[in-house]
Amino acid sequence: MKTVITAIALSVAFAASDSRAEDLSDADEIVSLANSASYYAGNDGRSEVRMIIRDAQGREQRRQFTILRRTVEDAGDQDFLVVFSQPSDVRGTVFLVKKHVGRDDDRWLYLPGLDLVKRISAGDKRTSFVGAHYFYEDVSGRDPGEDTHVLHETNDESYVLTHTPKDSSQVEFSRYQTWIDKNTFLPTRIEYTNSAGNVYRRVEALEVEEINGYPTVTKSRVVDLDSDGQTDMQFRYIAYDIGIPADVFTERSLRRPPGEWLKRPAADQ
Amino acid sequence: MRHSIIAIATGRPRAVFAIAVLVTLLFGAMLPRIQIDTDPENMLPAAQTDRVFHNLVKQRFALHDAIVVGVVNTSDANGVFNIETLSALQAISERILAIDGVVRNDVMSLSLADNISQGEEGEIRFSWMMKDAPTTQSEVDAIRSAVNRLPLLLNTLVSEDDRAAAIYVPIESKDLSYPISLQIQSIASEYPNTGEYHITGLPVAEDTFGVQMFRQMAISAPLAGLMIFVLMWFFFRSARLVIAPMLVAMITVIVTMGLLVGLGFTVHIMSSMIPIFLMPIAVVDSVHIMSAFSDRYEPGQDVKETISGVVDDLYKPMLFTSLTTGVGFASLLITPVPPVQVFGAFVAFGVLLAFIMTIVLIPAFVVRMKPDSLKALGRLKAGSDADTLLARLLRATGRLTPRFSKLIIALAVGIVLFSIAGVQRIEINDNPVRWFKSDHRIRVADAILNEHFAGTYDAFLVLTNEDDTITREFRERATVLLDSAAADGVDIAALRKLIQNTETAQGQYFGQIISATDDLLFESDSGLEPLEELLFAAEEAQSRSKYFQDPDALREVAALQQALMNTGGVGKTNALPDVVKVENRELRGGDNASYEIPATPQAVAQTLLQYQSSHRPQDLWHMVTPDFRSTAIWLQLKSGDNRDMTHVINAIDDYLHAHPLPSGVTANWAGKTYINVIWQDEMVAGMLNSLFGAFAIVFLMMALLFRSPLLGLLAMVPLTATILAVYGLIGWIGKDYDMPIAVLSSLVLGLSVDFAIHFIQRMRVLREELGCYVEATKLIFEEPARAIARNAIVIALGFTPLFFAALVPYITVGAFMAAIMVISGVATLLLLPALMSLGQEDTRMAEAGESQEGV
Repeated sequence: MKTVITAIALSVAFAASDSRAEDLSDADEIVSLANSASYYAGNDGRSEVRMIIRDAQGREQRRQFTILRRTVEDAGDQDFLVVFSQPSDVRGTVFLVKKHVGRDDDRWLYLPGLDLVKRISAGDKRTSFVGAHYFYEDVSGRDPGEDTHVLHETNDESYVLTHTPKDSSQVEFSRYQTWIDKNTFLPTRIEYTNSAGNVYRRVEALEVEEINGYPTVTKSRVVDLDSDGQTDMQFRYIAYDIGIPADVFTERSLRRPPGEWLKRPAADQ
Repeated sequence: MRHSIIAIATGRPRAVFAIAVLVTLLFGAMLPRIQIDTDPENMLPAAQTDRVFHNLVKQRFALHDAIVVGVVNTSDANGVFNIETLSALQAISERILAIDGVVRNDVMSLSLADNISQGEEGEIRFSWMMKDAPTTQSEVDAIRSAVNRLPLLLNTLVSEDDRAAAIYVPIESKDLSYPISLQIQSIASEYPNTGEYHITGLPVAEDTFGVQMFRQMAISAPLAGLMIFVLMWFFFRSARLVIAPMLVAMITVIVTMGLLVGLGFTVHIMSSMIPIFLMPIAVVDSVHIMSAFSDRYEPGQDVKETISGVVDDLYKPMLFTSLTTGVGFASLLITPVPPVQVFGAFVAFGVLLAFIMTIVLIPAFVVRMKPDSLKALGRLKAGSDADTLLARLLRATGRLTPRFSKLIIALAVGIVLFSIAGVQRIEINDNPVRWFKSDHRIRVADAILNEHFAGTYDAFLVLTNEDDTITREFRERATVLLDSAAADGVDIAALRKLIQNTETAQGQYFGQIISATDDLLFESDSGLEPLEELLFAAEEAQSRSKYFQDPDALREVAALQQALMNTGGVGKTNALPDVVKVENRELRGGDNASYEIPATPQAVAQTLLQYQSSHRPQDLWHMVTPDFRSTAIWLQLKSGDNRDMTHVINAIDDYLHAHPLPSGVTANWAGKTYINVIWQDEMVAGMLNSLFGAFAIVFLMMALLFRSPLLGLLAMVPLTATILAVYGLIGWIGKDYDMPIAVLSSLVLGLSVDFAIHFIQRMRVLREELGCYVEATKLIFEEPARAIARNAIVIALGFTPLFFAALVPYITVGAFMAAIMVISGVATLLLLPALMSLGQEDTRMAEAGESQEGV
C-alpha cells in the first residue's frame, strides 16, 4: 500500500473516467485498484530517483538511483532492478528484486567495492531502504493480501481506509490508514499507528503528474514522527512501456548494468 | 552607628519585632518557588568549554542520557537464556516504549536490536534479533549464538557470562529519570521469577538524589534546630531564654533561603545544606550576649542599660568573628563552580544577617522579658557552671598547659608532620552514585550490573577532522570551471551560489553541488566539458572529505579502541570500525577471517549502505556524523569514579603523544563520567585558591584587629593545625577527597579562627587588667574558655543530625564539621596558651624591669 513512492505508477485505464459516476464501497476493490495504480502502471517502466534523507537536525544525505521495472503478471509478480549512481562511493551498487505475490521475494545485491554478488534473505521487508525513512516494502509494494481492509469514509476527494495486518508479528505497526484519491487511485497519504495508538510515521504524495497517460507520483515524502527525520523522493525521467526485455532482470545485470535502459530518455522533460 | 542600632532595639522592641516578622514573611513567601537541581553538569558554568563540547557531542551524535535496566538470572543454568526471562525482557521492552519521555527509536534491548546473519543458503539475512518472545529453547539458543557474533551487543545488551541482560532507555530530559525509573520498576515487578531487576545509570542516580535531597532538607534542618535547642536548654536551663537565639536562627535561615529562591537560584546539593550550616552559626553570637548579660545583670538593675552595655562591649569581637566566618564562606566565590559560589555567597550573607539579627533582636527580646524570667537569669548566674565537669576539665587544662608547653608544642608539631604525610596520601575522587549509601538500591544495582556487564558508565572519545583543505581547494577549482562553463553560455548563477556558500554544512555541501551539476548537465547543450569536470571534481572531493570512511582512518580509530582497552580501565568500546567489520564479515560469508576493515573507501561506503538497510539505520549516526568528519568512540566503564576516568584520560594522552593523530584531526572527551572529572578538577583547584585567599584575608583581619602582625600570625596557628589535622585524617583513613570534603576547607578557616579571636582578645584584656601572665592564664580558663568550649560543642553537636542522613555527602559534612569544631577547640585551648607561655619566658624577664604593652 505504501505505494506512493513508486514512480512507475499507472492508474488503471478506467480509473479516470468511470469511477467518478458512482463511489465504490468494496474496500478490497479499492485497494486492488490502488495497488495497480501505484505499482503496475504500464508493462514496464523506468524512473530516476533522488532521495534526500534529513535527520531531525536537518543534516542531509543524498542518494540517486535508477529503477527499472517489468510486470511479469498483472497485479502479480514483478521484477525490479535498482542501480545506484550517487554518491559516487556507492556507484554501481545494484539490487535485483523478483517480487512474488503470495510467497517470499528473491533479492540479490551487488557491491562493486567488494566485487561481491550476494543473495539477500527474504526475511523482513520492513527494513530501511539504504538508510532512508522508506522501507524496502515501500519500494516494491506491500501485498494487499497481508492486511484486512476497511473503508470507513468516502469524501469528495478520497476513500479513507484502515488496514490491519493479518500477522502482526511481521510488522512494526498495529494498523495504518490510507487516503486514496478517487480519480487516480493513488494513495495521497498513509499514516501508521503503533501499539500505543499514536501515529508515528506518515507518507505523503506531494506531486502527481500524468506521464505517458498514467497519473504518477513524482514527489513524495515520508516523515518519521518519532525522530523528526524525513526523506524526500523525487522521481524524474520517467517512461512507461519502453519494452525492457526480461533478461535485463537477471543476475548478469548485477555486474554489468544494462546501460541502454539506464540511459535517460532524451525528450522526456 | 552601633549606638543608634542598640538604642532603636531597646527603645522600640515592638517595632523591631514587627519588622522582623514582616521581613521573614516576605522572604518566606518566596520559598514555595523552590527549584531543585541535581545535575552535576551544573557544577560547571554553562559556557565552560568541556560542558559546551559535551552538549555539542550529544547533539552531533543524537545521544541522550540513558537509564540502564538490568535483569540478572543466576538460578537458571542458561542464565537469561531461557524462555521466561527473554519473554519478560521482550514484554518489558515493549512497555517501556509506551512510557512518555522515552526516546523510542533509540531504546536498546535484545527485542529491539537488529541481527545480521547468514541465511540457510549462504544468503545474507537482516532480521530482528528477538521481535517476539521465543517459544522454544532452540529459538533461545539461536538468539544466544547470534548475540555472540555481534560485538556491539555482546557485553552491552547481554553479559558475557550469560547471566544478565540489559535494556538501555534513553530519555528526552534527565529530570524525567526518577519518575521513569519508578515506572519501569513497577513494570518489572509484574514479571516475578524471571530474574532480579536492577535500575541504574547516572541520570537515575542524580535525579533520585534530588528527590531524597529535598526530603533530607525537610528533615535535617529542623533536626539540627531541635538539637541546638536541647543543647542550649542544657547549658542555660531555661526554655524561655533559649527561644530568642532560636528565633534568630530561624529568621536567618528563612530570609537567606527565601532570598536565594527569590533571586532565581536553584537549590543544588550544596545550597541544600545552607540551613544546616546557618542554624548553629546563627546562635553563637546570641550565646555570647546571653552569657555576658546573665553575668552582669543584678535584680533591680536597669535592664536596658545593662543589655546596651553588653552589646556595646561584645560588638567588636562579634563583628570580627562574623566577618571572618563570612570571609571563609565568601572565599568560595573564587572557586569557579557555580553551586559552590552560590553556597558560599549565601552562607556569608546569612552569617552577617545573623549578626545583625542578634544585636537587634536579642536586646529587644531582653528588654521585653518579664521580671520572672530575668530572675531566672539571676539563678543561672548563681548556679553558674563553675563546678561542672567541663569547668573542672578546663581549669586543669589551664593549670597544666604552661607547665607542659614544650611538650604540647612538640606534640602539635608531631601531629602536624604526621598530618602533612596524611595530606599527601589524599586521593582525589568522587562518583555521584556513591552519594548513596552502599545498601541503597541504586548502589546495589550499580555493583551488580557492573559485575556482569562491560560497564554502565558512559564516556565518549570524539575524533574530528577539522582540516578544510579539500573544500577550499575544490572551491578554487570549481570557480575556474564555472567561469569556463559560463563562457560557453551556460547559466551557472544558481550553481555558483551553491559553490560559494561557505555556510553550508560540509555533509550536504558536495551533495547539493553534485545534484545541481548533474541536473545542469542534462539540461544544457553547451559547456558540457567543464560541467562534467566539475561533477567529477565534486564527487572526488565529496569522497575524500568523508574522512572516517577511509580504511586508514578507521584503522586509526580501531587502534585507539585497542589503546583504550589497554588502559585496563575500560570495559568495552563501541565504534564505527566494529560496525564495518561485522558487516564486512557477514557480506563475505560470515567467516571470522573476514572480520576486518575492507580495502577502499568505496567498499566501506557500500558496507555501511548495507548497515543502514536495517531496522535501525539511525544507529550509525550515534557513531559518526553524516559527513563522516567526526566519529565517537563510546566507552563503557565499570566504574564512575573520577580517579578511574582520569587514569584512562591520562593513558590516552600518553598514547596520543606516542602515536600522534594526523594533522587536522583532534581528539576530545565527552560524556557524563568525563564531565564529573572536569568539575572535580575545577573544584579542587578552586578550593585551594579559596583556601589561600581566605587565609590571607583572615590573617590581615587578625593583624588589624590585634594591631600586631605577630598576634595575627598566632591567631592563625590553631586553625592551620586544625586544617592540616582534618585533612591529614582524611588522608590516613583513606576517605576520598570528594565534593563535600573540598568545600569544608574554607569553612574550617572561617569558623575555627573565632575561637582564637576570643581567646587572644580576652587574654589581652586580662593581662592588661591583671598585669600578670600567670593570673591571666588562670582566669582565661574560667568563663572565656567555657564559652569557647560551649560554642564548639553547640556547633559540633548541631551538625550531628546529619549522621542520620540517607545521603553520604550529608553524613560526611556532619562528621567533619563535628571533628573540625572539636579539633579546633582543643587546638585553641592547648596550643595558644602553650605558645604564649613560650614567648612569656622572655617577657617575664622584661616584666621585671619595665611594664610592657600587651602580649
